[in-house]
Amino acid sequence: MATPILDVQNLRVRFETHHGIVRAVDGVSFHLHEGETLGLVGESGSGKSVTNLALMGLVPQPPGVIEADRLTYQGRDLLTLSDRELRRLRGNEISMIFQDPMTSLNPLLTIGRQLTEVLEVHKKLGRREARRLSAEGLDDVGIPEPQKRLDQYPHELSGGMRQRVMIAMGLLCKPKILLADEPTTALDVTIQAQILELMRRLQESHGTAIVLVTHDLGVVAGMSDRVNVMYAGKLVETAEAGPLFEEPRHPYTKGLLGSVPRLTGDPDAELDSIPGAPPDLAALPPGCSFAPRCGFQVARCTEDIPTLFELPTVQSERRSACFEHARLGPTLIADTRGRLNGLDGNPDGDPNEGTPA
Amino acid sequence: MLRFLLRRFLWFGITIMTVMTVSFFLMHSVKGGPFDGERKLDPVIEANIKARYHLDWPLWRQYLHYVGPFNLDDNRALFAEDSDGDLQPWRSSNPAGQEVKAFGGVFAGDFGPSFRYKDFTVNEILAESLPISMLLGTLSMMFALALGISAGIASALRPGSGIDLSLRLAATAGIALPNFVIASFLIILFVFMIPLLPVAGWGTIQHMLLPGFCLGLVFAAYIARLTRTGMLETLSADYIRTAHAKGLSPRTVVLRHALKGGLLPVVSYLGPATAGILTGSLVIEKIFFIPGTGSHFINAATNRDYTLAMGVTILFTVLVYTLNTLVDMAYTLLDPRISLEDE
Amino acid sequence: MAIPQGDSRWALSPEDLKRLSKEAKNFKGESLWSDAWRRLRRNRTAFLALVFLAAFGGISLIAPFLPLPSPIALSLRDEAAPPQWMWEEPESLPKPPAAGTGMTAWTANLWNDGWRHRTMLSVAVRDEAAAESARARIEEVAGRKSAIELRGAEAVSEDGLSKVAYVSVPLLRTDTPDVIPGETDIRGNVTAWRYDAAIPEASPIPGEPPLEVEPDWRVVHSLELKAPDGTPFDPAQISTWSIDQRTRKVELFLARQDPVPGIGSWIVRYQLDRAISGPVVTVRVNGQLLAGSKPIVESNPQDAQIVDARLFEGIEHDDIGRQLARSFEADPVPGARFLEARHESGYWPFKGLVGRFDDLLLHARVHVFGLWQTGNWMGTDSQGRDLMSRIVWGSRTSIIVGLIASLCSLLIGVLYGAFSGLMGGRIDNLMMRIVDVLYSIPFIFVVIFLITVVNEYRTELEDNFGIDREKIFFLVIGAIYWLTMARVVRGQVLSLKNTEFVEAARVIGASTTRILLAHIVPNVLSIVIVYLTLTIPAVMLFEAFLSFLGLGIEPPKVSWGLLAVDGTSAINPLKIYWWLVVFPSLAMGTTLLALNVLGDGLRDALDPKLRGKS
Repeated sequence: MATPILDVQNLRVRFETHHGIVRAVDGVSFHLHEGETLGLVGESGSGKSVTNLALMGLVPQPPGVIEADRLTYQGRDLLTLSDRELRRLRGNEISMIFQDPMTSLNPLLTIGRQLTEVLEVHKKLGRREARRLSAEGLDDVGIPEPQKRLDQYPHELSGGMRQRVMIAMGLLCKPKILLADEPTTALDVTIQAQILELMRRLQESHGTAIVLVTHDLGVVAGMSDRVNVMYAGKLVETAEAGPLFEEPRHPYTKGLLGSVPRLTGDPDAELDSIPGAPPDLAALPPGCSFAPRCGFQVARCTEDIPTLFELPTVQSERRSACFEHARLGPTLIADTRGRLNGLDGNPDGDPNEGTPA
Repeated sequence: MLRFLLRRFLWFGITIMTVMTVSFFLMHSVKGGPFDGERKLDPVIEANIKARYHLDWPLWRQYLHYVGPFNLDDNRALFAEDSDGDLQPWRSSNPAGQEVKAFGGVFAGDFGPSFRYKDFTVNEILAESLPISMLLGTLSMMFALALGISAGIASALRPGSGIDLSLRLAATAGIALPNFVIASFLIILFVFMIPLLPVAGWGTIQHMLLPGFCLGLVFAAYIARLTRTGMLETLSADYIRTAHAKGLSPRTVVLRHALKGGLLPVVSYLGPATAGILTGSLVIEKIFFIPGTGSHFINAATNRDYTLAMGVTILFTVLVYTLNTLVDMAYTLLDPRISLEDE
Repeated sequence: MAIPQGDSRWALSPEDLKRLSKEAKNFKGESLWSDAWRRLRRNRTAFLALVFLAAFGGISLIAPFLPLPSPIALSLRDEAAPPQWMWEEPESLPKPPAAGTGMTAWTANLWNDGWRHRTMLSVAVRDEAAAESARARIEEVAGRKSAIELRGAEAVSEDGLSKVAYVSVPLLRTDTPDVIPGETDIRGNVTAWRYDAAIPEASPIPGEPPLEVEPDWRVVHSLELKAPDGTPFDPAQISTWSIDQRTRKVELFLARQDPVPGIGSWIVRYQLDRAISGPVVTVRVNGQLLAGSKPIVESNPQDAQIVDARLFEGIEHDDIGRQLARSFEADPVPGARFLEARHESGYWPFKGLVGRFDDLLLHARVHVFGLWQTGNWMGTDSQGRDLMSRIVWGSRTSIIVGLIASLCSLLIGVLYGAFSGLMGGRIDNLMMRIVDVLYSIPFIFVVIFLITVVNEYRTELEDNFGIDREKIFFLVIGAIYWLTMARVVRGQVLSLKNTEFVEAARVIGASTTRILLAHIVPNVLSIVIVYLTLTIPAVMLFEAFLSFLGLGIEPPKVSWGLLAVDGTSAINPLKIYWWLVVFPSLAMGTTLLALNVLGDGLRDALDPKLRGKS
């Protein structure tokens, strides 16, 4: 296998607040290869977005502190780069798409200005050339009349359009890595599908590696090659997308999958939900963070913190941070597969609301 | 835009009419005209003066005459403008080609003769003093903007730091202290203890520094506060994170992306600030003996020179209203989300 | 609690309801106010500001109690004196009263020879023992503690009393002689006019009209008074007269030829149609000129007018001088003779309850400090008045102006804003549009204009409606500062009207009154309080501003604005009277700063969005 373009070992991000130290990301490791899509899933507050921001060096410091055993992009250590060098990577080789297209575009500047400035900074292009390329970029993401759009302001575009602009902005410099932070959450389902299709197409043509942060399991299943599941700032399971959804080997992953509603089956049946709420990151319970909500809890879970155990599989590398991963054999998850057909569930929400009409 | 301007103009008319009417009738309801002194005037002279200022007319007629632009004055032709622009009794011997000036009323931009400065019209006094006040006001406004915005940005970039705290305290003090107190301190400091600047008067740059500073300080403090809050709000906005993620330098992010949004509150404050500077100029002009409109107004008000006082009031109302409208229009240019039609 | 399934979910049994409502009653959240108080206390600067304001307000409230020199008593220096630790007796003091027999005198001229606001009773005495017993008698009669000072008399009197004891007691309003008008049925009218007695100077150039000279006005009052049966009032009963014609309300005092015990002069009262300026030199009653009047000149009368008049019998109110004179006469103190009572006012007395409160404080001052007073710790102004005392007394005026004017604006603003917000729709639109229009007027100019015009009617307003300069002030300031308050309140009411909790209250059947009182008012109140604390400093600044321009509080009353004017006018290149600038500015600056800080702190403390946080 080729060397990964992004190598993350034991990434830790903590925020030092008045209420104590919050470990938002605690020992996350993964690597990303060219053209690969890595899914990052978990509940809100599990540290997905912070991981992404930390890769870009965009965690506000202070109060944030970023540490890692290794954080390299194409062999260069991102943590020791100067601000200037880091800025040269941002938006150029590593770019990012944010969650909310409504607030992530500057409302006071035209679309054109916000696009061309990326090219002006990184490619040292003149106004006119930058404008031509920006219009092409907008055309690429399927925006009609790109020339006209360049002179419009964000509030004159619809939400889907704005997200396309965000994507176009992220892809303008043909980055090696695209960090997509819940790119479809704020959009309705039909637009979601269009945007995802767009991303996939662009990935093929540009060879971009994507880190896709989402809590939408359907999106992950459709897009990702590998999936990392995060809980309370830690990786709890990592596997290729197919096997993960077929045989989750961590109770949290299982819980997430169990709470996805499906189109087939009894519409009145109650969905499984994960009892309890995510822990306060400033005051984590001893042992496994998920233990208080876990149905597979044993005595050891409240004492020791489980590491990522490598699982013996035939297909590919697979890890789970559960002492009892063996108990979560294939037989226990027989009905999960069927649920994957109805992939628009929201594991964060009230399970009672997700019942298909 | 046109609709907006039309509507503004309508309200403007109502405002001016109200101010003018109320002050006119208040002024004329006062017993004893401006010429009632301790000294008894010769009845003939008194009647002449009253006729000159039309005080012998019924009130409604005086009002219409004041408001204009109707020429109600049958004797108008008896006064003509001489080469200095002063009104003189018209004589048949006047050189040919000299125009007979008709009194136009407020709507024609004519505020009439001053009751106290008997050889001047209100327009002449205003023409002489207004440029001085405008210069002082512009200077202090520029000063307030420069100091306020830079202090506000410095505060917002490092919230909670020593610089921020001291700037905030200074701003609160600037708002709390009356400008004449600040002026006295500065005069003691820079005029008497370290004799750098002249104490009072008008004419050179040195004369303008202290008054401009004292007048602008309060507004600098307000602007610093507004800038700080506005900048803090925009700097925490999502689109600033986007800008950082694009690899822009912090300078570009602040100047191009944050400053525009952060200064919007300052722009909307410019209207009230203008009114405030006009107000403050009353005191500052008095302290520094500057012959501006403000000091004329105070003299007029205390000397019962009603035409002059009314002229200044109306002029400043027009000024503030116009500037407010301009500020509102500028705001829509800066913030594309706001449309004037929504109002 | 398990949620019942299906339709039974909502079928609560009465027991359940009872239990639920009991639970709800036991649930007591922290109230908005206690939460705000807790947060305010944690905000160190704001709390400090609150403590400072409380202390400063307290000091100005108890000003009569403090051992400060008088704020209005002058000294004969013609230059401002720098701060000094001990109070220094001015070199030239007014002479003590001669050992006369007059009983009561009123001292209007207040030389700064000690703290003032006292009744000084002088007793001629032989020695210290006699002085002490006289003092004991005075304290007994006056019912107050006193201070005593013994000086040598100018000359030994016939009865061999060589010293004068000055016994000071706090001045109460009941000490001063007062005449209460008693009804009579004598009525009539007054014809009043004035004439110019100036003699025109002949012009040096023959043939030209005479030179103009300053007019020399003289006023004549001619009275016709008669009883209801037509008997004219007999002018021979009158010995002397005096007249008070400062305002249009005139009081003419006519002393009796044969004094009646307990009844002083007659008083004739009338109100002129138009004020007549100039000295009254002639008074005629029923055709007879009174003693000391100038002969009548009827030619060229000006401002002539005829008004109704009434005659009263002045019933004399007993005062401390009379009481003491009677007491010393009925039961003489050996070696002492009561001379006179002199009333010296050290500040402008307040009326009503405040005045009574001040009397109490004065009592306390004499009990605690006696005649001791502080030095001029902050120096004196150019007329020798103590600056510290003026600052303390000035803060009284400024604080009262600030509070009352802000409350005025609050009343107007809240009523207007709440009405507008509650009505909504077209009325709201119109009312707010009016506010917008008013906003765009540079108000200060209109206000100054208004004040100058109103000043023309000052005497009329004061006479007929009791509206003095300060009240005009409150009204005018209240009339400007309500605009923002109205906007704020209207916005709050409008948004509250549509909140979920108000709708929830309406859904569960709460009445409109209940919604108003329980939901809207408390929520509006917090924002009103915050805005009020920010209005008070603005109003105080405005007062200072107007006083600076000579349109605010007038001397001899004092306010911070006036002190600041004194300070700036004392700036000159020859000598820097720094204390005149520094101390008043410091007092005003810190107070305004504290009010602003407190306002900001309160805004944070009462912000419901920040509730429960540190």
